[in-house]
Amino acid sequence: MAVAIIVAASLNDSVAVRSAVAAIIAGTPLVLAAVGEVHAERSGVMNLGVEGMMLIGALLGIVGTIAGGSPWIGLAAATAGGAALAAIFAVLSVSLRVNQVVTGLALVIVGTGLSSYLGKVPDPALTDRGAVQSFDLIFHGGLAKLPLIGPLLFGQDPVVYISWLIVGASSYYLYRTRAGLAVRAVGEDPATADAAGIRVSLVRYVHVIIGGALAGMGGGYLSIAITGIWQDQITAGAGWIAFALVSFSGWRPWRVLLAAYVFGALSSLNFTLQALGIKIPSDLLSMLPYIMTIVVLIIVSATSSASRALQAPAALSTPYIRESR
Amino acid sequence: MAVATARRFVAVEPRGVPTLWVRVASPVVAIIGAGLAGAVLLLATGHDPLTAYRGIVRASFGNKFGWMSTLISATPLILTAVSAAVAFRMRVWNIGQEGQLYLGAIAASGIALALGDHVSAAVALPLLLLAGIVGGAVWAALAAFPRAYLRTDEVISTLMLNFIALYLMNYLIFGSVSFWRDKQNIGFPSGRLIPDNAQLPNIWLRLHVGIVIAIVVAAALWWWLRSSRWGFDLRVIGDSVSAARYSGMNVARRTVSVLLVSGAIAGLAGAIQVSGVTQALQPRSLAVNIGYTGIVVAAVARLNCLAILPVAVLIAGLSNAGSSLQILGIPSDIVLLLQGVVLLLVAASEFFLYNRIRVEWPWRSSSQQA
Repeated sequence: MAVAIIVAASLNDSVAVRSAVAAIIAGTPLVLAAVGEVHAERSGVMNLGVEGMMLIGALLGIVGTIAGGSPWIGLAAATAGGAALAAIFAVLSVSLRVNQVVTGLALVIVGTGLSSYLGKVPDPALTDRGAVQSFDLIFHGGLAKLPLIGPLLFGQDPVVYISWLIVGASSYYLYRTRAGLAVRAVGEDPATADAAGIRVSLVRYVHVIIGGALAGMGGGYLSIAITGIWQDQITAGAGWIAFALVSFSGWRPWRVLLAAYVFGALSSLNFTLQALGIKIPSDLLSMLPYIMTIVVLIIVSATSSASRALQAPAALSTPYIRESR
Repeated sequence: MAVATARRFVAVEPRGVPTLWVRVASPVVAIIGAGLAGAVLLLATGHDPLTAYRGIVRASFGNKFGWMSTLISATPLILTAVSAAVAFRMRVWNIGQEGQLYLGAIAASGIALALGDHVSAAVALPLLLLAGIVGGAVWAALAAFPRAYLRTDEVISTLMLNFIALYLMNYLIFGSVSFWRDKQNIGFPSGRLIPDNAQLPNIWLRLHVGIVIAIVVAAALWWWLRSSRWGFDLRVIGDSVSAARYSGMNVARRTVSVLLVSGAIAGLAGAIQVSGVTQALQPRSLAVNIGYTGIVVAAVARLNCLAILPVAVLIAGLSNAGSSLQILGIPSDIVLLLQGVVLLLVAASEFFLYNRIRVEWPWRSSSQQA
């Protein structure tokens, strides 16, 4: 018995378990933002502006936590900020049918400029403040000390569990409900969906805004729980990785969850490898998610008939014009 | 319910080709609109917008040194913007100018370092520029062939290649002691200086001859897109891929060629930056969003290669003014925000260029309704 406890305790201290925990934490902003983007892209709208929405979320996460005195208020502010930016994108891309690539890039630029500007407005500037209060763990003591599953399943902060719920709910919604079927129909063939009585513009508005809300929440989690502070461009490209994850995962929520942890593991792998005495240049490790995404994308497009289920929605990034039906 | 009734009274109808006047006016209106939006934000955060805007104009266009730095910064922007415009004309969304520029810079500095002092400038400079062109085109080819023959989405692939190129460039200087790295100074990672004969000569103060190259490339592409068979095919494919196929055009081959040309121009920008400005492979000075800003320029110029010239100067001036705003106590990030808002408004104005909104007031007689 005593031996078992010692083995268990050392297992939880092992490099593997610690890296897995680190991967889950690093992957959670990616999970949230990427699942949000799945909603938008499943409805046929490609929002390249994830990085911009995450940055606004990250800023408001810190502002909300300081002003409201609770990380939950910060997370709510972050979610609202991401949704607001996405609403602007929705007006342009859905109602005004503007090119989504250009508008998405504009959203990144606006989000970057606005968040960096606003971070310097308060006195003292947000960049000069200490770490904010983060989320309390839910499970204390016993459960979290269980071997292996303890730290992984019971050692997380509540937002991690929320992200699992969101992934499950998104998967169920998109693939098991009539409303989700309508969303996918709009993304595949908006003209037919329109003829079947589905309100194409409304569906796209709602899902672009859901996407922005989740990207904002991801940014908020990143600043509140991971860095604890605000700095210019604190997301450091997490938004782009989240965007890549969506196509890497074949536009499927559950795959997004797994892939986000893989990408999260890659970003924390550096420390793991160092702990094990293996030296791989960090720049080459940082490349991996992007290389993997391109390779998967090319393989999927090369075997289009076999893996139709993993293809992009057919009407992705095509504005819908009713007159041209 | 409100939406359903509104739909009956607000009609969106396409209008014909907008007149030249409208096409010129729309970016101007967008820039004024962004200025107003920025003014509101500045006022709300306790800054005087007039001071800020006067500071921007003075820093970038107020004296000859301001003009010089503005034109130096405009040079690569013109090229990355032309690169984007050429591809976007065909509705091929190459957003990989960042990465293509880095690869151009890596190839150009590599050639310059390999040649060393053994050759004259007349040999070194053309080879350096050619290396940049090839570097950019090869990087674009990685996205071009899958796009043309497998229909792999080029937005995602060119974007991914940007990050791969960035980390590759960082690896060459910060992550390893490579051929490109200055080996004298191991403690402070930096690129190795290219020889004098591989540096572009200055034509006015520190303004190097790259601006002339950029203007020539923009003018040449403008003319080429207008009057060559290639440019005609591009426009037809951009309008309708199926119409192009029916008329016997080889769409896949055109897709590859447009992406290679686009990548080559962005690669040339990288070579010119290395040869005229950084004089070594310096990731920190090269990775300053020249590619993404070029896309902004191209979009504001509505993909017209000649209109790109003034827009690039304007956006370069705006970006350069950041540091002088800092001195006035205004966060320099406002200039980035202004760029983003200009881009959003220009994108929005596109809709109003091609569509007329007609409001049928419900209290008027409905006899006018079509």
